[in-house]
Amino acid sequence: MANGLAGKTLRINLATGDIRRFPTDEALYRRWHGGRGITAKILYDEVPRDADPLGPKNIFIINAGIMSGCFIPAGSKVEFGAVSPLTNGPGDSNMGGHLGPALKFAGYDMVIFEDISPKPVYLFVDNDTVELRDATAYWGLKSLDCEKKLKEDLGEDFEIATIGPAGENGILFSCITHDFGRQAGRTGQGAVMGSKKLKAIAVRGNKSIQVHSLDSLRKQVTEIILRTQKHPNMVPWQKYGTAFFIQWSNANACIPAYNFQTTYYEDIDKIDGDQLVEKCLITHKACFGCWMNCGKYTKAVIPGKPEVHLEGPEYETGSLCGSNLGMKDINHVAYINWLLDNLGMDSMSGGGVIAFAMECFQRGLITEADIEGHTLKWGSVDDVEHFLDMVAYKRGIGDWFAGGSKRAAAKIGRGSEKFAMQAKGQEFSGYDGRWAPGMLLSYMTSDIGAHHNRSWTITVDMAEGRDTVEGRAKIVVYLQHIRPLFDTWCICRLFWGELDITPEEIVESLNHITGWGVSVAEVLRTSEMIWNLNRCHYIERNGGNGRSFDYPPARAWEDKIPSGPGMGKGLSLAQIDQMLDEYYAARGWDGKGNPTRALLEDLGLGYAADRLEKAGFLGDPIPGGIPPVRGEKYKPKAF
Amino acid sequence: MVIFLKAGGELRTKLNPDVDFYTRRVETKEGQSLRDILIGIGINPAFVAFAYRDDKVTRLDYVPLDGEVITLQPPVSGG
Amino acid sequence: MRIKVNRDKCTGCRLCLQICAIEHFREINPKKAALRIEAKFPDPGKYRPFVCTQCGKCAEVCPEEAISRADSGAYIVDQDRCTNCGVCVPACPVGVVFQHPDHDFVIICNFCMLCTELCNTGAIVKWEKGASLEAKGV
Repeated sequence: MANGLAGKTLRINLATGDIRRFPTDEALYRRWHGGRGITAKILYDEVPRDADPLGPKNIFIINAGIMSGCFIPAGSKVEFGAVSPLTNGPGDSNMGGHLGPALKFAGYDMVIFEDISPKPVYLFVDNDTVELRDATAYWGLKSLDCEKKLKEDLGEDFEIATIGPAGENGILFSCITHDFGRQAGRTGQGAVMGSKKLKAIAVRGNKSIQVHSLDSLRKQVTEIILRTQKHPNMVPWQKYGTAFFIQWSNANACIPAYNFQTTYYEDIDKIDGDQLVEKCLITHKACFGCWMNCGKYTKAVIPGKPEVHLEGPEYETGSLCGSNLGMKDINHVAYINWLLDNLGMDSMSGGGVIAFAMECFQRGLITEADIEGHTLKWGSVDDVEHFLDMVAYKRGIGDWFAGGSKRAAAKIGRGSEKFAMQAKGQEFSGYDGRWAPGMLLSYMTSDIGAHHNRSWTITVDMAEGRDTVEGRAKIVVYLQHIRPLFDTWCICRLFWGELDITPEEIVESLNHITGWGVSVAEVLRTSEMIWNLNRCHYIERNGGNGRSFDYPPARAWEDKIPSGPGMGKGLSLAQIDQMLDEYYAARGWDGKGNPTRALLEDLGLGYAADRLEKAGFLGDPIPGGIPPVRGEKYKPKAF
Repeated sequence: MVIFLKAGGELRTKLNPDVDFYTRRVETKEGQSLRDILIGIGINPAFVAFAYRDDKVTRLDYVPLDGEVITLQPPVSGG
Repeated sequence: MRIKVNRDKCTGCRLCLQICAIEHFREINPKKAALRIEAKFPDPGKYRPFVCTQCGKCAEVCPEEAISRADSGAYIVDQDRCTNCGVCVPACPVGVVFQHPDHDFVIICNFCMLCTELCNTGAIVKWEKGASLEAKGV
């Protein structure tokens, strides 16, 4: 295949041990572009709507995309997909590092796992050798320890991805860890792996990837390499990664502090990017093919505790496990990052769940008696360590929090639902939305639960007015189309989005690799198609009008920001409803948040319209018809 | 006094570079902070995550020296 | 012309491996590169590039006299003479003689220097003979 694909797909039945290989379906990639596009399609088609996400009928997919590994800047990603146990909807999560390219260099584009193994196994791939090997010796090991042991046992040149005890024990926000510090964190993909008794994946390969036009690709990529080497923002990126963002977020009243109780943190100087680089840095760490090397491999040194090494904390973990937990020492934030990585929990949802528990403790909704005699005080790294142990092993009330903050709030009650900062069951990213309405809308409408990866609008909110909501929706729609394309192609959005590389150049690279000759407009339509398929899937699984799932927790409109530059700011429920109304109109959905037949047929998803109609949730026709183009690129008019 | 500001992305467009693709020459007054200078050339300081000079992050209340070259870093669009 | 390694600057991106294989084989395949990156994690948590030092040991041990020194200092493999016996592989003190199942000759760096042009961190850079001793960091 001379189109960026490795050529083979594996389908493995974990119950029987049957491993089938067949040629990769090029037509499937042409239509769905790989990565999260293909996971969306397979999950929609094959997972029964009433299947338990941790049961045998869920499907777990590893997809290395088209562009990963192909001498493309930041061509490093791999996508994991399964119905999410956290959100009960289609889930996907990607990570950088080297696993995606390794899978392709071994000759495989995708691995699809069905059913559940009777005993712990790991997938061993060494070029043409594909085996399910006994993982009894590894089951129970923490993620980073397991990766180290597998490399010792198999060879340093194997790329490894593992789950930790959290995934084994079914913590719904469990992650998959790789390369000693990269994670596929969101939507609980680690829990799905654990439910299938799949402990790890080990891959090595020495085959070549063929592309449509290597000379054109090489010429374009070399030019981009040399151009971006001189980009003025490259050196700060290389030095700080996303941790540099912490101070800005705080100064502009976006950072979560004390479980999003407020958005300004007095001790920010103790946990910012400078602190990370000065006190913790061991080495800058890159993913395959990326010289932005945003990764920071660090050490956490705390008297009385062993020195630990980890990758991070980057902005999300730095804020959600930093200011959001009241931490006052960068070493403590790094240590918590390491705890979550090693236990195998998403550090974003992890930070959100810990913060929720801390606020419950603050308010007396849980007490020391509930926490095995320990406290859960803001800023206490020891309290966090003990609490996480309870959660990872589901001890006592740790079991309540194992399902995320929404489920924990349902157990605790007494008004705690208001401050479980999540949407559709997945915890917020590290930005508060009360003074950034587009950001709040982004969380509310993300297809996988709250996640900034789909749409990030803080600077748009600043430019257009942080106290107004008009016009935000159609920008969110556009971002929700363009940003997930990177997860579809399995390249990193950070590199391509931050260094003056245009969408046209990215599509040019795609065409050099695949020979498809597509345009920017066409790939945006593909992305819109994926988005709508996921919406249909979510509605069918959860059995309600889309709008009923799209609201944020009540803190978003009941609690004004109490301190800092954003003091007094916040949205009203009427404004939230207005944003949703505008959003649905911009999407071609009806007022109940359901996709319409006209829209779905326009996107070639007539079969999804049929299913949605049968389920009773097909959107009502829109008077005047659907918008001809959904989503509008933001044109900054003034800073 | 003269300083040189560099930026990429949307900040670069607003900066109106006149020295090279990324760089603009700006005349400043003694004692002006970076924040004041940015406002003076029509850039809202809120759109600058930090300034970078001499291999270090610099806050916007820094007062530049004559001839300094300073990079403006826009906020990352989601980490 | 040689390649100087500043090992503390390597971030493990493997661009060097990619361009090497593309230049010499017109293929995207890091396993066909003539240099290697060693990753030691979690402890100490560092990357280290290994590149040819032009020591000549490979040529010394070759039973077919298939490896010879060019004027540039690089050791060039005569692909027709090489029998791929692999004796040179363990002889290399830096471990940068490679074999690949697709080919019946060994892979040795010919100092085209493309890796140094693409390396963005200064981990591998060009070094001229006669430069100061401090600059020689291999």
